[in-house]
Amino acid sequence: MSRRDVDKVATRNRGSAAESSGISRRRYLQSGALLGTTAGLAGCLGGSEDTLTVGFVLPFTGVYSLLGESIVNGFELYVDEQGGEIAGQEIETVSRDTEADTNTGVSATRELLVESGADALVGPVSSAVATAMMQTVENESSAIWLNANAGDYRLVEEGCLSYHFRTSFNDWQTSAPLAPWVYENVADNVVITYADYAFGDNSRQFFSEAFEQAGGTVVNEIPIPLGTDDFSPYMGDIEGSGADAVYSFFAGSDAVNYVTQFHEFGLDQNMTQTGSGFLLSEDTLPAQGQAALGKFSLLHYTSTDQSERNQGFAQSYADAHDTRPNVYACQGYDSAQAFELAVEEADTDPDAMAEALRGAEIDSPRGSFRFHEETNDPVQNMYVREVVEGSDGPENEVVDTVENIELPTWGCSVN
Amino acid sequence: MRSVTDLAGDLRATVGIGGATGPAGEEALSAQGRLAALVVAAVLAAFAPIAQAFEPFWLNLLTRMLVFALLALSLDFVFGYAGLLSFGHAAMFGAGGYAAAILVREVTSNALVVLPLAALSGVVVAGFIGWFSVRAKGIYFAMLTLAFAQMFYVIVFTDLPARLLGAEAITGGDDGLFGIPLYEAVGIDFTSRLLYFYLALVLVMLSFALLVRVANSPFGRTLQGIRENEERMRFLGYNVRRYKLVAFSISGGFAGLAGGLYVPFQSVAQPGLLHWTISGELVVMLLLGGMGTLWGPMLGGAFVIYLEERLAEFATWEIILGSVFVIVVIFAPQGLAGTIVSIRNDPRNALHNANRALRNYIEKVRG
Amino acid sequence: MIESLLRATLLGLQLGVTLALVATGLTLIFGMMDVINFAHGALYMFGAYFGLLVADALGSFWLALVIAPLIVGAIGAAIEIFSLRPLYGRNPLYHILLTFGLAIMVQGIVVQVWGARSRRIPAPELLAGSVSVGPVTYPVYWLFVLVLSTVLIAAVWVAIERSDLGILMRASAHDTEMVDALGIDVKTVFTGVFVFGSVLAAVAGVLLGASRSVHPGMGFGVIIEAFVIVVIGGLGSFKGAIYAALLIGLVIAYGALIAPALTDLFIFALMATVLVIKPSGLFGTTEAA
Repeated sequence: MSRRDVDKVATRNRGSAAESSGISRRRYLQSGALLGTTAGLAGCLGGSEDTLTVGFVLPFTGVYSLLGESIVNGFELYVDEQGGEIAGQEIETVSRDTEADTNTGVSATRELLVESGADALVGPVSSAVATAMMQTVENESSAIWLNANAGDYRLVEEGCLSYHFRTSFNDWQTSAPLAPWVYENVADNVVITYADYAFGDNSRQFFSEAFEQAGGTVVNEIPIPLGTDDFSPYMGDIEGSGADAVYSFFAGSDAVNYVTQFHEFGLDQNMTQTGSGFLLSEDTLPAQGQAALGKFSLLHYTSTDQSERNQGFAQSYADAHDTRPNVYACQGYDSAQAFELAVEEADTDPDAMAEALRGAEIDSPRGSFRFHEETNDPVQNMYVREVVEGSDGPENEVVDTVENIELPTWGCSVN
Repeated sequence: MRSVTDLAGDLRATVGIGGATGPAGEEALSAQGRLAALVVAAVLAAFAPIAQAFEPFWLNLLTRMLVFALLALSLDFVFGYAGLLSFGHAAMFGAGGYAAAILVREVTSNALVVLPLAALSGVVVAGFIGWFSVRAKGIYFAMLTLAFAQMFYVIVFTDLPARLLGAEAITGGDDGLFGIPLYEAVGIDFTSRLLYFYLALVLVMLSFALLVRVANSPFGRTLQGIRENEERMRFLGYNVRRYKLVAFSISGGFAGLAGGLYVPFQSVAQPGLLHWTISGELVVMLLLGGMGTLWGPMLGGAFVIYLEERLAEFATWEIILGSVFVIVVIFAPQGLAGTIVSIRNDPRNALHNANRALRNYIEKVRG
Repeated sequence: MIESLLRATLLGLQLGVTLALVATGLTLIFGMMDVINFAHGALYMFGAYFGLLVADALGSFWLALVIAPLIVGAIGAAIEIFSLRPLYGRNPLYHILLTFGLAIMVQGIVVQVWGARSRRIPAPELLAGSVSVGPVTYPVYWLFVLVLSTVLIAAVWVAIERSDLGILMRASAHDTEMVDALGIDVKTVFTGVFVFGSVLAAVAGVLLGASRSVHPGMGFGVIIEAFVIVVIGGLGSFKGAIYAALLIGLVIAYGALIAPALTDLFIFALMATVLVIKPSGLFGTTEAA
């Protein structure tokens, strides 16, 4: 049975499970309401009418905790800018640590939806956690899901949940649009290096397809285990490929190790390094230092972007947190904007909120974007950046913009 | 050098469980204990509908606590009774979980079919690991089980079966298998939170009863004999290795059952289930609960899950959880079970005992 | 091909000697005190983070390399005196619970104090750039790590095999009561060995902290590798740990050339094979059961 078939079975099963539990959910709500009116326990059963509840399902410990914190900071910054209220209602936030672990993530999601009665979920960071959450979000059907970072396209392909809105990106966006740019501006042949897990493999595949479509040649593809500390065994293969450019997907500590070692082994001299934006981001650049200079990457947000909207955002973020906002903070900020828009239109009814957000436009610091009418993914500009020497260390400078690219829908249509 | 397997015996002596019948002849659970277990089960069963009405989330937490209680129970059976410290129980847990995931997705969501097969896959994996490992003793046995479990982890994480067979996905690699629906059986649909909780409760209590029975059977007594003095049992003509292998496989079956209960509940089977940190956490649950008592580790498992869940709202939860482990091991080395038993036996002196433990600690630090 | 092989060999040796620095403490601590020290990886991580702290504050990698291990040594002393000492004489298993708890605590502390971002200790200017070793280019700093670690390991070897201190240490491991009877304070020897192990792990932390990223997951990452080494070498055997560390370093490096995804599988398969054939490890005595 092929992967695709297995997935189909999964989708079918998910559908049926959701139907049956949807019924029990409704029944539970009825009994809850009944108890509430008869015993006057409404207060115990969840927040009062005028309080909105937002559940952060994010990693606050472990390797990804910086991402989790940044998303929360961004979200709270927007709420503060609105005077601590969203659409005239008080807002309560509840945080649950996913530890970037799938099982913890599922429990955290359930806890936020069932125990805290969240009206919106914000998170997670990891795509593995997000795919695991789909079933629970669908079963409960009680909140909209503002996905503030998990970019796996299969959330759309296999989940295609009407409650799921990406205030972030999908992995196609951070890889494929770079391919024609590299072909035109850097080289007509590349070697691809990537972290050997689902997300890295998606990025490889999207870039590779797009690069060959553009007319280029992919000389070699080198998978490297997630969490590799020493890349030196792979340097020979990269160099030996004879390619003029490299496209890479690595993030976090892998990105730090890869970029610095690429530089230390002298590969910079003959090859141009390019990659998805996570390879060279605000959280890795300080550790990568000089090794990052002259490398290109693609992302939907760059803190040094000169637009007025972004400068205002970056300034107030810096005032609050003493640091420049990163892409995760922007995604958190936009999650708050999306939530406000949904509540203004539809109060807290999850289906009405989803209806309101579909196709809606968000005035983001990254440049305004809209949720795709069929997939709820963000239709947005992507920026090609080069790492240059800035006032305090290396920083990204936007060198080109790929505008409002048509997104693949992977057969999903939430309507 | 003392063998790690002495520990269960130590504990029993200090805690006074089993009483004067001697190490090889002790009952796994006194009549009083049986009654207590029944009361706990009844209270949980009665509490569930109340939780459902007021704090439905409690049911989720309790179900997870039950699963880990079962997992800790399975490990205590093989360690507490046969003296085999397994550091690879995550492999059997994961085997049961993945078996359930694949069966539910591809074949049937009937619990009566899937759960026994999940347990069976735990038995098979335990049989495989055990066959290589039971020849080693003590810490070396622990390390062998760790090595095999980690090999299974890598196989699942890289989806090696799919790579070898040219299939697209079998274990689903690092993402695992997701969207696993809940069980149904004999016309009951376990998608309700309450019913799934009852399913877990019934299975956990049955497993507990069964393992207590096995521990008290002639087979269980032979295992205890092996734990106490392997040489003697060998001279008496027992095939020690075979006994160990069977005990390990039985334990693996219950670990597999726990995995089979856990995965549909979580809707996902992912490689983290097999990671060594799960095995490590299990050992911690055992020690925390009071090993060799069967019921203590169940408490320990439930307690650790509860702590992790409730501490999750604090940014410093790792520091708190770590401190709890450290404090327990220094001041209450017999674990929860030991503390409960000593308070029950001598409630008035509890404060005095705590005081003495503190003084004892200071003395030892001074050297 | 030759190039890749040579580069992998250099990496394997370098990894091997740095892992040996970590594993030495682990195996000595087990050999002498029966302590299975899950917190050893945390001490390695502390080394890297304190190295970062000192390098930031004083602007010198060299001072970091000296001061950070001393700080970690002091922390090691505190851990030994206040948490391990009260447990001696009890079953070694308790140490699993204790040190597991300590390792979790340290990880929490690191996240609280330093945050979760990946960092790096700036390598000294003096060792920047790369040189040609035969047909391959190799970073100077990595060669420095290889050389310095080798020198350290050799020094430790001489100290343990030749000096009175080493004899005392080995004697304490073998028969604590006899050493006690000779009027030597075994408790102090234990503390000394634990501190020594902590310092070596911290040195490895600082050294590697300048060639790879420093992050809160690194403690749990290294501990399993170190365990594998100690088990393959034979629990408590210093010599075994060194050989096994080199072996594992080479397996990791060559594994990356053959089948990167399966490197861990090779390591654990190797460990299982050794244990099945010779349950006490390459240089262990069966006594350590």
